[in-house]
Amino acid sequence: MEQIIQIEHLTKNFGKHRGIEDVSFSVEKGEIFGFLGPNGAGKTTTIRHLMGFIKSQTGQCRINGMDCWKESDKIQRSLGYIPGEINFFDDMTGEEFLRFVTKYRGLTSLERQKELLERFDLDTKGKIKKMSKGMKQKIGIITAFMHDPDILILDEPTSGLDPLMQNRFIELLAEEKKKGKTILLSSHMFEEVERTCDRIGIIREGKMVAVDSVENLRERHMHRYTVTLANEEEALAFAKDFDGKASGNMVTLASRQSLENIFMNYYGGENNDK
Amino acid sequence: MINSTLYLREMKKSVKMLLIFAAVISMYAVIIIGMYDPEMMETLKAFEEMMPELMAAVGMSTGETTLLGFMVSYLYGFIFLIFPMVYCILRGNGLVSKYTDDGAMAVLVAAPVKRRTIVCTQLAVLVSGVVLLIAYSTILELVVASAQFPEQLVAGDLITLNLALLCLHLFIAGICFFASCFFSETRHSIAFGAGIPALMYVIQMLANVGEETEFAKYFTFFTLFDANGIVEKSQGSLTGAVVLLVGAVLLYVAGGVVFCRKDLFL
Repeated sequence: MEQIIQIEHLTKNFGKHRGIEDVSFSVEKGEIFGFLGPNGAGKTTTIRHLMGFIKSQTGQCRINGMDCWKESDKIQRSLGYIPGEINFFDDMTGEEFLRFVTKYRGLTSLERQKELLERFDLDTKGKIKKMSKGMKQKIGIITAFMHDPDILILDEPTSGLDPLMQNRFIELLAEEKKKGKTILLSSHMFEEVERTCDRIGIIREGKMVAVDSVENLRERHMHRYTVTLANEEEALAFAKDFDGKASGNMVTLASRQSLENIFMNYYGGENNDK
Repeated sequence: MINSTLYLREMKKSVKMLLIFAAVISMYAVIIIGMYDPEMMETLKAFEEMMPELMAAVGMSTGETTLLGFMVSYLYGFIFLIFPMVYCILRGNGLVSKYTDDGAMAVLVAAPVKRRTIVCTQLAVLVSGVVLLIAYSTILELVVASAQFPEQLVAGDLITLNLALLCLHLFIAGICFFASCFFSETRHSIAFGAGIPALMYVIQMLANVGEETEFAKYFTFFTLFDANGIVEKSQGSLTGAVVLLVGAVLLYVAGGVVFCRKDLFL
């Protein structure tokens, strides 16, 4: 598979154990990669590198084979981005802002923008300053998707959206994936990631602690138990009730842990155990 | 080199502010030029004799008795220094560091536009504003002077004077622009971008007060703009203006380079 986003040994030290250390992972063409971690783990710092906002100390990151720091303007042509903290020009109305971004990026077609506005049911008449977090988030989504980019970097894109809009957003992601778009989705919402992502990277205290597919992660953290029952009949009934596998008078059971529990395993660790 | 969409947006914001500054400058210029009266000069001289320190501190020393000399004394010591300076401070800060601070810079950087283009556009907006303000002042002075005192003001001399004034303000804009590019927080950008020009002006006031404090003039860039010297066409004063212009360009380049290389925490 073609690797669209490559991050190799990326390190940025802000002192006091903050920043990221030796982060490596890649996102393949057409996949949705879930980037998970608690607050302050280094998700946004990693994304800032990808966006060319900050320069790495060591290591490098590339998008489409281009250096994220040196060639960020070229990368941006086919990239859509939703920042973790949305801030636009407060003095503009939503409409003015979207018109500005369209022209600023040198776009000509407004079709996609119209379609997105309808999909997210957004009224762009008011001043951005007076908009709620959810409305600003919607504008962020529209700005990220309106130029139909091949790569999407989304930093906690559903924050502030109501459940209905979250669903619409997840539908949008699924559609984009069908079109072959490559998506990096940072989140701390387990369900969202479980529903949408192919693979997951977990970051904790600036270090990657796991990168794997959702299934493999589950598999790795699955516990199996074998229960011996009095006879075969009981074993079959037991297997049926508890969703296990019977063989003779023995039944094998597996705990299907939710992703949330798996994360808690990674999140926890030394600090929380003390 | 510049992004026209961004330039237009920012100029729209500049124009609103320019109108206010133009109105204030117009009011002062009309009143002060209207006050010119060769006989009145005597009264002012009397004022100066009564309280020389105060008059000198605000740059109002009666030298020349021509209309231009009068304007230099009463407009170019305070009005034409302070108002464009405040414009430079407000706009310089608003063009770069405000967006870096509040995060709106992400919109500009997360687009297929080079950082160099962004910073050059913002600089072009700042310089355009200063040029417009000084150009407006020049036209205003010429119109008011020729309406009230026909043929008393040599246009060429006034234009030379205002070109030197432009150099001074481009330099001040340079300080503000550099501060705006260098600092990622508005409060630091303002502290530096407003603090240095204001401090320099205070030192200039101090240097004007009397001989004991005259040495202070070596510690302020305002000394490089010598309005009386420009009117007298002294070589040193013209060189001073050129030094300001060169300094301005250096500050622009330094600000731009810093912005292109710095980490933006957006």
